[in-house]
Amino acid sequence: MTVPAEHARRILVVEDDPHLAAGVVENLRAEGYEVAAVADGRRALEWLQGGSCGLVVLDVMLPEVDGFTVCRTLRERGDNTPVLFLTARGDPADRVRGLEAGGDDYLAKPFHLRELLLRVRAILRRWEWYQSASAADGAVLRFGGNEVDFRAFRARSWNGGAQELTEKEAMILKVLAERPGEIVSREDLLERVWGYDVFPSTRTVDNFILRLRKRFERDPANPRHFLTVWGVGYRFMTEGES
Amino acid sequence: MKAPRLFQLTALALVLVSAVEVGWWLLDQHRFAVDKVREMHEVYAQQVGAAQALLDAGTSAARVHVLLPDVIVTNKQATLSPDVDRQLLAEEHRHIAQYVWEGSFFIIALAACIAVIARALRAEARVIQEQESFLALVSHQFKTPLASLQLSLETMAMRPLSPEHLRALIDRMLADLARMVSMVTQILESMRLERGRIDLRSEPVDLEGAVARVAAGCAERAAKDRIAVSADIEPGLQVMADPLALDVILRNLLENALAAVAPVGGGNIVFTGRRARGEVELSVRDSGIGFRPGDAARLFQKFTRLHPGGGGSHFGTGLGLYIVKRLMQLAGGRVSAQSAGVGQGSTFVLTWPMGEPHPSASPDPSESIGPLSRQPAPREHS
Repeated sequence: MTVPAEHARRILVVEDDPHLAAGVVENLRAEGYEVAAVADGRRALEWLQGGSCGLVVLDVMLPEVDGFTVCRTLRERGDNTPVLFLTARGDPADRVRGLEAGGDDYLAKPFHLRELLLRVRAILRRWEWYQSASAADGAVLRFGGNEVDFRAFRARSWNGGAQELTEKEAMILKVLAERPGEIVSREDLLERVWGYDVFPSTRTVDNFILRLRKRFERDPANPRHFLTVWGVGYRFMTEGES
Repeated sequence: MKAPRLFQLTALALVLVSAVEVGWWLLDQHRFAVDKVREMHEVYAQQVGAAQALLDAGTSAARVHVLLPDVIVTNKQATLSPDVDRQLLAEEHRHIAQYVWEGSFFIIALAACIAVIARALRAEARVIQEQESFLALVSHQFKTPLASLQLSLETMAMRPLSPEHLRALIDRMLADLARMVSMVTQILESMRLERGRIDLRSEPVDLEGAVARVAAGCAERAAKDRIAVSADIEPGLQVMADPLALDVILRNLLENALAAVAPVGGGNIVFTGRRARGEVELSVRDSGIGFRPGDAARLFQKFTRLHPGGGGSHFGTGLGLYIVKRLMQLAGGRVSAQSAGVGQGSTFVLTWPMGEPHPSASPDPSESIGPLSRQPAPREHS
């Protein structure tokens, strides 16, 4: 799902505590964002069905439908709008749950205002980069009989199979495709796609590369497009390496 | 591992080993008794053999009887006296019975010890788990007002603000602080109620007056939220209760009802008091957001906050209705909640037995920490 350019700086705040919601909304507005707010998960899903935004700031413990379910439902709908979880539950297991539900970042309450604003800015910047890089001539990538549509998050693999890409898979592919033939380090991929310290290790990147190989390599065990450069990172070859 | 738990586990292991030892001792003693009797039988059989040899050698039966008194001779045939046989059998049974009784006693005593220790260990594990989940819930409840407070302060520090905005932030921070103070009070009260350590009196209290007092305390808020609070209580209707505890119960229920009605843009709350089936019944009916009928029992559990209608504001601790339930239990009464469903309003019914006044529910004042405080109640709904 592509967010219209005029909505890229629009943020939906989903928080049931009125004081906290008011504080977040006021500060985001002061930063120049267009902000809408709802107080429960059901209304958030309704709002997102009718409108679009560049980011959802989502509380986890919400009335009606909890934040994890909201995020999961969005992803199932094919809505890749970035989600920043804002929650009182800050233990690692909950962070992982949030990210598994399709969240992009996770901020535990109580949080620092500057950190919130920084994370919001970083997520929107990454998203804006992806949107602009996927516009016009960069919208479609063809390699080795595969065809990837970055704007629709869809692809057709070499054997004709239809593929639905997750937001992270598409972003990793985009970063690699921007620098064909060059070595891209795992840290670079983490920084460009996730930013900050959301994930504990670079192993996450490896797992995503494995998923991309399964989707697009004829023989994932002997990749020709997504090549590992041992100890450094990855190299993407559009033509394929024999 | 903590020392007491280590001690309990060691004691349990020792008792288990002792039980096994007793079982082994029992078997061993049984085997010993059986062996001993068999050996005696063999000795007597040898005596019978010797007597028969003497008889065959021409020794008189009288002489043989003198030499071997446990052997009897009949027609030159030596046999063991039936008395000896009976004595041996009786001896065997006596020993076995003794071992069975003693062994059973020890095994039962040890089994009782094992049960007591295992029960203590399970109870301790449950308490630890409850404490951990209580702490997790309490810390979670505090994080939201803390986050709001921090956000307001950092906003003030970071941005130039108009006097109006500054005033709004100060009001917000004061409300967050009041919310946390209320939470601390309610958490402490709920803990005291849980342990039954609360000094409750039992005296006749006029229900109409008590409702009127509590309603007057919330009149400003009710008017602001366009909520009409009314009461229809039989004149002179009294309940046997602690006046302060009754005040807390009614305030909690009224605050809960106000929080349930406010999100739907106003409505009404009606107190109805009457005598019914030898009891006094007070119902609090609201036209608020209601709840799913299946959630009725959960409402009175600690830290339960239902959000049936997705209300726009909730500052509850999730303890108010739990406190109501505990106070009613301590007063010998009960509380229940009904709703036809989300959006259908709700009714909370308090029931007290009609009885004679008695001086105190807690006869030993030294056991109690003190009376309940008159803190504003939380809102469970929204």
